[in-house]
Amino acid sequence: MNDSLLWQIRHFVYSHFADTTHAPSVEETAAHFNISTEEASEYYKELHNRHAFFLEPETLTIRMANPFSAIPTDFKVHANGKTYYANCAWDMLGIPIVLKCDAVIGTKFTESNDPIQLEVKDGQITNHQLLIHFPLPFSRWYDDLTFT
Amino acid sequence: MLLFRSEEWIDKWCQRNHLERGEVLTIQQVWELSKLWYHNRLSLDYHGRSAEQVAEIFRQVGLVSDFWYIQR
Repeated sequence: MNDSLLWQIRHFVYSHFADTTHAPSVEETAAHFNISTEEASEYYKELHNRHAFFLEPETLTIRMANPFSAIPTDFKVHANGKTYYANCAWDMLGIPIVLKCDAVIGTKFTESNDPIQLEVKDGQITNHQLLIHFPLPFSRWYDDLTFT
Repeated sequence: MLLFRSEEWIDKWCQRNHLERGEVLTIQQVWELSKLWYHNRLSLDYHGRSAEQVAEIFRQVGLVSDFWYIQR
């Protein structure tokens, strides 16, 4: 396995998320780098093992490249004229930082399902007194990422 | 990680879901953490982090309790 190509593929996946709001398939990645789908699959598995991004169980489909989610969630981030999905309340703050831009975040309160909108503008966040609960200690974050 | 209005609602949610309460940070604290955690994620040079680097990020935003302990 070529270490340089490994990190180029990680970068490609993140850039693809930033540009399109969704993850590239393993076939798209193989075509981009002019390698076989089998070879690209091995790189996907290695990047999953290194926690660079996370695949759906037993598949080559990217589920998360934190802070981006490949599936719709309750954490919508409107930025650069696009709508991204974040994995959790922490990641919804991460997307405007990754993209280095202002954003409007649409989410809801866990206890009531009441919608709430947050705004990121000029590097500042509104509603800064609201709370985010981290249910698990860091040592257990990767035991079950969907729960975390 | 989920969003709440108040500590009281976090306690109720944990009870209802039979979960132990974890740690609670304000949006502002998580914003500061996010800036350190995510600022270089689109860089080609980002190759993940060592345990020492993660611990340093937590330390910089004041997360030093056992909850944030990292095995090294």
